[in-house]
Amino acid sequence: MNKIIVTFMVNGKEVTLKVSPKERLLDTLREQLKLTGTKEGCSVGECGACTVILDEKAVSSCLVLTGQIGGSEVLTIEGLETNGKLDPLQQAFIDYHAIQCGFCTPGMLMSAKALLMHNPHPSREEIKTAIEGNLCRCTGYEQIIQAIEYCQGDGSTDNISI
Amino acid sequence: MISYEFLTTRKIEEALNYLDKLTKVHILAGGTDFLVDLYKKSSRLPDFDYLLDISNISELKIINLNNNFIEIGPLVTHSRLINEPLIKNNFPIIKEAACTIGSTQIRNRGTIGGNILNASPAADLLPPLIALRAEVELTFRKGKRVLPLEAFLAGPYKTKLQSNELLTKIKIPLLGDNYYSDFKKIGRRKALSIARLSLALITKINKEGIFQDTRVVPGSATPYPQSLPETEKAVNSKSIFNIDLEEIGKIISKEMISITGERWSTPYKEPTIAVLVKRALKKIIGEAKINKNE
Repeated sequence: MNKIIVTFMVNGKEVTLKVSPKERLLDTLREQLKLTGTKEGCSVGECGACTVILDEKAVSSCLVLTGQIGGSEVLTIEGLETNGKLDPLQQAFIDYHAIQCGFCTPGMLMSAKALLMHNPHPSREEIKTAIEGNLCRCTGYEQIIQAIEYCQGDGSTDNISI
Repeated sequence: MISYEFLTTRKIEEALNYLDKLTKVHILAGGTDFLVDLYKKSSRLPDFDYLLDISNISELKIINLNNNFIEIGPLVTHSRLINEPLIKNNFPIIKEAACTIGSTQIRNRGTIGGNILNASPAADLLPPLIALRAEVELTFRKGKRVLPLEAFLAGPYKTKLQSNELLTKIKIPLLGDNYYSDFKKIGRRKALSIARLSLALITKINKEGIFQDTRVVPGSATPYPQSLPETEKAVNSKSIFNIDLEEIGKIISKEMISITGERWSTPYKEPTIAVLVKRALKKIIGEAKINKNE
């Protein structure tokens, strides 16, 4: 199998990598770039644990081949914090007890972040739709929805450059 | 072990050259079916030596109004179908079906072309697209051909796409005035569900309240989505004021079984498809009556 050279942005930094034809964005992030905040759950796009933001849209990184994303911009959970300060969404997840075991949290936050990037004032239904692809087996979702609702219209969610 | 060479291009021309020169090429777009099949080493994956990534060909991402057709590029994602005014305003049934696909993450990557070419019996966009009499434009290095979508499907997970062809456009004729449509889907849960059964219904209701040009296409009911002419005939020329919905329910169940034979799922699907057609007709009749009173 051939190796592919691909250049893209991750959390604001350009990277050029050699990837294999079967390498998923999830593998590249975790194994080549050591960005292990993105989790591998089901590997078939059903649990949302591997959600990242690709060109401003939430995607399952287990369903994207890295060879496909030359020139794209990726934002992972590691890119949410700016200058040592948590993103308001991250802080709200802590404050609202929207985390228990934490495995779904990075994916959940990235889905929420993608929603607020495009729709700073989502309705409760829109929040539910945005996170419908993210499974959480601990919290029961209510606290997660409350945390996202708390961040509505928070201007500081706009200052992430991707 | 599955082994292949990865090719990527941003130009239709180059993709067609690859398809023309090489053999055993598998085309990759959004990847939401392919990567699942690859991970599961699914028997549905064809034998291929090359994976041709077309996901960055911007010419295949257009949505246009051209004369009396809306033309949709095969790389248009489900999320775009949901948000695009041309689709929402002209074909709300496509939006309704696209909303039920997977999750936000899947809808952001999965494409209309992929949904067609994967040709799953449960593909959510196939019933509405067939009911809308969509056509597919297939391009090869030396020319192109256009086929009705219904004739393009060749079986479960099978289409008539030739190995040197690329799906380059989905063309949907605009509906005239007085058309109504509805899409119903039953899944095991609301998000991320594969249709257990779905139904697209499009019909015209004339000034006298008579059904005309009815199209009924179920999903997950037959080996691959197809129109049900007996049911369509039974609805046509009936009046919205006295159509016998029970009778239509019986006819659609019978027609489905005449195609599939008795299967393990028939005891469930026989009454359920009747319910879906009755619900779709009731909703449409309700809308038509409101329009008449205005």
